Amino acid sequence: MERRQFLKLGAAAAAAGTLSPAMAEVAGPRDVPNRIIRSGRLDLTITPYEYPMVDGNLVYVNLFEIVGESFLNIGRRGLHPVIWAMEGDTLDIRITNKDSRPHAFAVTGVPPISGEPIPPGGTRPYSFKVPPPGSYIYHDPYNYPVNRILGLNGALIVLPSFDTTTPPPGSSPIPYNRTQQTAQVQALFDALGHSKFPGNKWVPELPADEHHPRDVVWLTSEIDAGLARRVADGAEVDGSVWKSSFTPNYFTLSGVSGFDTARHEELDDDKFAYAGLIEPEGYEGQPTMLRCLNAGLCTHSLHIHGNDIYELTGTNPAGAVVVSDNILALDVWAMPPMARKDMLLPFVRPLDAPVWPPNDEPFPMRYVMHCHCEMSNTAGGGNYPQGMVTHWEMLGTYKDYLKSKGLL
Amino acid sequence: MADDPFRFDDTAVGQEPTFETYGCKVFHESPETPDKLRPDVVIEREFKNGELTAPDGRKIKFWGFVDSKSPDPVFRQPVYPSPPMRVRVGQVVHTHLKAGKGPHTIHHHGILPTTFNDGVGHVSFEAGEYTYQWRPHKPGTNLYHCHRNTVLHFEMGMVGLIIVDPKLKGRGWLSDDGPEYHAEQAWVADDMDPRWHEFSHNDGLCGEDVGLNRFEPKYFLLSGVFNNRTTTDPRAVATVPAGKTLLIRLLNASYSVLRVTIGVDAEVHAVDGSQLGQHAWNRPFTIKANQPFDLTTAQRRALLIKPTQRGEINAKMEFLHWITGKIQDNGRGVVRTKIVVT
Repeated sequence: MERRQFLKLGAAAAAAGTLSPAMAEVAGPRDVPNRIIRSGRLDLTITPYEYPMVDGNLVYVNLFEIVGESFLNIGRRGLHPVIWAMEGDTLDIRITNKDSRPHAFAVTGVPPISGEPIPPGGTRPYSFKVPPPGSYIYHDPYNYPVNRILGLNGALIVLPSFDTTTPPPGSSPIPYNRTQQTAQVQALFDALGHSKFPGNKWVPELPADEHHPRDVVWLTSEIDAGLARRVADGAEVDGSVWKSSFTPNYFTLSGVSGFDTARHEELDDDKFAYAGLIEPEGYEGQPTMLRCLNAGLCTHSLHIHGNDIYELTGTNPAGAVVVSDNILALDVWAMPPMARKDMLLPFVRPLDAPVWPPNDEPFPMRYVMHCHCEMSNTAGGGNYPQGMVTHWEMLGTYKDYLKSKGLL
Repeated sequence: MADDPFRFDDTAVGQEPTFETYGCKVFHESPETPDKLRPDVVIEREFKNGELTAPDGRKIKFWGFVDSKSPDPVFRQPVYPSPPMRVRVGQVVHTHLKAGKGPHTIHHHGILPTTFNDGVGHVSFEAGEYTYQWRPHKPGTNLYHCHRNTVLHFEMGMVGLIIVDPKLKGRGWLSDDGPEYHAEQAWVADDMDPRWHEFSHNDGLCGEDVGLNRFEPKYFLLSGVFNNRTTTDPRAVATVPAGKTLLIRLLNASYSVLRVTIGVDAEVHAVDGSQLGQHAWNRPFTIKANQPFDLTTAQRRALLIKPTQRGEINAKMEFLHWITGKIQDNGRGVVRTKIVVT
């Protein structure tokens, strides 16, 4: 099967990818890009593309890109870029519309910034105070939900600032501030590193000698290639018509599907590096945050293998992040449209393996995560499992981790 | 390696998957089980074709796992859903799969084994024959299903319940620390799109558009019973004496969002395979009578119901479309059943 390359459309081609200075920090072309915490001004563009799906089909999409940080092929940070920010900072996001239709910008849980659309060729500033810690979706609300589903969506992940989270003596750091905190989330994070969860505590920052993120974003969405084609061909598709006739045939996790969601050797450098932002990796005892966001129109039913995981947050009707006071251990979690849930993958050993560590079976252990409403594991009407799936990888036991650090 | 009984190098464990072996031509092997122990329980599961007759007379093909050595003759024939597995915490379990023309897999959903025993082809292998090894560490309500071309094989009926009873007290207790129950009912909700039941095993796998992204169910079942008989068939109707405790093991095995309404308070004691109230971060909670609650595909709930008076309690399950949120099949996607309190 031919897997085609990326085509830029029209005038947008001239703006194609220069490396940001930050990219120079990346050790190698296949390494996971470093997380950049944004504050102040950030320039984004809205650009139409003919974008290759996992099966090689070219589909019309619109994408947000961070100016100067996109790569031609797939984009390391350029595809559905994650905006990491600190609570209480101000973000001054300037959006330039490189499309021939009007667009807009909004963030869930943040009061509307401006009702005015951005005309074709225009630029508008959207300045707002970063909301409390947790996960948010930024998106284009114009001609709801058409523009959002054409691809104009991404994650804003807010981290707590140090002075609001310094844990009281004897308790462990959590990814929320003290106003949001519940006794239950504190109890769970306090238990990490002890008998039920041997290994490390959750850490707000990666140790300097580690590169693989312990905080990943799983942003789900869908594509109806036929409806997208109608928009590309100049039809004005009304949002209500779109919703009633929406028959998605591609299903994406942070903008990619199937084979492209995990670091397979066959992938080119950019795709390989990008997959590292989706696929959790670590040793036993390295708890990892999973930021689950559904920017699509389907209700997904995400399922993880290998570990039960913990649902830490939900949202209230106003869109605020609510930290749970009854934290369920789950292997399936419901993701209705625009749902935002922070989950904790504890990275414990597979608890139903009778021989551990295994003698015959080698590491790494690989465990899939996929939507169990399995129509979403197709691409182009078949091609299972080239849809909403990835996997996570356990490199070894906690003892192996300590050995890798020279501590044993 | 020819002398490697586990054949790791012929699977995705020892060989880097390519685009082709990830989806279209997944590794197909019948290896030995690594780290194999002497089992406490051996469960046989063999692939067989079956056929159901829908209420409108239509014959619907399904695929099932049969238990060729079951003492119950019902489970030696294909049934829909597939026969339940029931074991205790701490038992070393061997699930012996014979895939027939295959390949197939068994993923024990909610059970947490090593990768080789997890039954997912694109990170390990799909099997002609294999013995999956697992030892459950906690009691709970789980499920097993084939993970090959899963979108199709799960819908076709290659799915059944796994019930793990507590180690010491066994059946009748949610865990060795309680609570106790006196009657038990499995509610496995499912829906069927008859178009899908004409497919063959590999349809769609290698690039052809067969429309497996479109699911339009016309039949709605509870625990294998079509919805014209779910208020009378004992496979669907729960029965409990007044003053006693009924455990309902609820599983959404459909591709719809299942909206459940029960005419009595229900205490939720477990979600998915995990019991609540075992740790400081969670606790059981109550769903009030007639308060609808939703389950998405593969979610489970263990509900305790404690009726005090004789009579009948109604329960309703509405199958909602995953995009529109409307009841499937123009409003016909509803299963009604009841709890009979004697």
